[in-house]
Amino acid sequence: MNVIVDDLDIRYELKGHGRLLLLLHGWGDDHQTYIGLMSALENKYQLAAFDLPGFGGSEPPKQPWNLDNYAELTAHFIEKLGLNPIYAIIGHSNGGALAIRALATGVLKANKLVLLASAGIRNSQPAKRVATKSVAKVGKATTFWLPEARRQQLRQKLYGSVGSDMLAVPALEETFKRTVKQDVQADASLLKLTTLIINADHDPAIPLKDGERFHELINNSRLEVVPSPSHFIHQTNTKDVVSLIEDFLT
Amino acid sequence: MKKLAVAVIFGSRSTEHDVSIITAISSVIRPLELSGKYIVYPVYIDKGGRWFSDPELASIELYTKGNLDGFLSRLKPLQLKMNGRFELVWPGLRPKSVKIDVAFPATHGTHGEDGELMGLLEMANVAYVGCDMPASAVAMDKALCKTIALSEGILTPKYVWFYSIDFSRDNNAVLSKLSELKYPLFVKPVHLGSSIAIARVSNPKELINAIEVAAHYDDKVLVEEAVNDLIEVTVPIIGNDKLQVALVEQPLLKSQDFFDFDSKYLHGGKKTGGGKDVSQGYSKLPADLPSKLYKEAEATALAVYKAIGCSGIARVDLLIDGKTKKVYFNEVNPLPGSLYAHNWRAKGLSNVKLVDELIDLALERHKSYSKLATGFKSSYLKQY
Repeated sequence: MNVIVDDLDIRYELKGHGRLLLLLHGWGDDHQTYIGLMSALENKYQLAAFDLPGFGGSEPPKQPWNLDNYAELTAHFIEKLGLNPIYAIIGHSNGGALAIRALATGVLKANKLVLLASAGIRNSQPAKRVATKSVAKVGKATTFWLPEARRQQLRQKLYGSVGSDMLAVPALEETFKRTVKQDVQADASLLKLTTLIINADHDPAIPLKDGERFHELINNSRLEVVPSPSHFIHQTNTKDVVSLIEDFLT
Repeated sequence: MKKLAVAVIFGSRSTEHDVSIITAISSVIRPLELSGKYIVYPVYIDKGGRWFSDPELASIELYTKGNLDGFLSRLKPLQLKMNGRFELVWPGLRPKSVKIDVAFPATHGTHGEDGELMGLLEMANVAYVGCDMPASAVAMDKALCKTIALSEGILTPKYVWFYSIDFSRDNNAVLSKLSELKYPLFVKPVHLGSSIAIARVSNPKELINAIEVAAHYDDKVLVEEAVNDLIEVTVPIIGNDKLQVALVEQPLLKSQDFFDFDSKYLHGGKKTGGGKDVSQGYSKLPADLPSKLYKEAEATALAVYKAIGCSGIARVDLLIDGKTKKVYFNEVNPLPGSLYAHNWRAKGLSNVKLVDELIDLALERHKSYSKLATGFKSSYLKQY
């Protein structure tokens, strides 16, 4: 289904009945990332998942956004559909950072929070940051003479090679820059709600130490580590993740 | 025999831009080339409305591998000449031009399928494939089509249409008009094809949200009652005066669903059957209908084709109530995606023969229009 929120066409899915779980996907992803999770949880909960503007089937924002803009839209989405108060937010990767920011600023309210390989600690991988900056400089210097489309292709490859999502969605390049500037550690320390943090032991995108840091920052939190070499633990370790979430929510 | 110069025009400023590329390359350009009778000029209109022509534009890889912009940046936009004949002009120090004998529009949706392109070709006095300008413009307006069908005694589900601006100004007045309809309802933007922004709704809250989505894309919105025990069928037709009907085709969907964009264009093409009962993965060919109902579907589609004034090619979509066996007109598509070549193939007409016939029909219609008197002796100027 689609709905117009803040003059943007937003694709969403509602499933199940019961207390409301809001699912927020990560950068370059869309709500379908949660298909497995939704099937497993729809018997007990109502699940609301949507494509954030610029991803999947949702219209991109008309100007560059940051986490606060995404948080506002999320609140308006819930309001527009007239959904019940949120019982828990489940956020994966950048969706986790969004959830932390939205809850800390009071834009969203929930009883519980589940962070799946959450992003938001922006200074934890200095080597990656240096590599990304180098790529930006080298890329600019060596590709300026190429036609725009070819240049864009090369930049995409270069950024991808150092594990950066900068050009995962080229139309959102400015939005990405604004988003990754927002470190949510201070926001995390303000959270009072009970939080379940799940990280993979060998996540190539978000190191386990980021999960450990969130665990330190959020008073009422619990950290669980699943054995996986993937960043998408809700897809690769669905059974483990569902079991941890079900246990946490009851 | 002299080869005819055919310009295949595709792309354009439309939400169905990408579908048009597939139609043009897979179902028009390749078959025209294979027939050996034509010199084919691919004419691509980009999303900004610039026209380009180059043999490379007939290569699907150019569009799928994301290097289209770079390629276009090396080309000069095409110019058109309309001095009693239609010419493509490649500008430059030594401009090159070619006279086009037949234009083959392969555009879908706005700025192409909706009659705009046909009007341009009409003014250029060139033969062109498919419905003419008036029929294309009417066919692109789902509300107007239904009004015409009803006036010809053709059944259509009960509907209400309104301007998007009227809904934003006073949604209560519009909702009161809609209250005479029974749920479930379908909400559709009036001018868009490929099932974009179409929604099935079951309550007033969903209705309002779906209207807002439709109004986000179109200035007119249509709301109509759903047909119970739905059997959805589609009937491709070609011809000017003498009409040929392809097989009545039945999408393989549950009654609560509908033929959305992804079903139509992304999940098709998986052949699971053979012989007469050819399935495209998403449809049954021919439709599994009792003989009487099958014939009624054909007759209704032909009646719609004539009532709208279609010529060349079109596809008529029908809705059948499985219990009452009533056949309702849904909508007409003046340029079916990929020409519905799979259906014609199952009927026994290859894609090459299909485009051949369409070219012949275009020339036939152009000849017949040329015979119409355009002069009328009067004394108006003398009296002035």
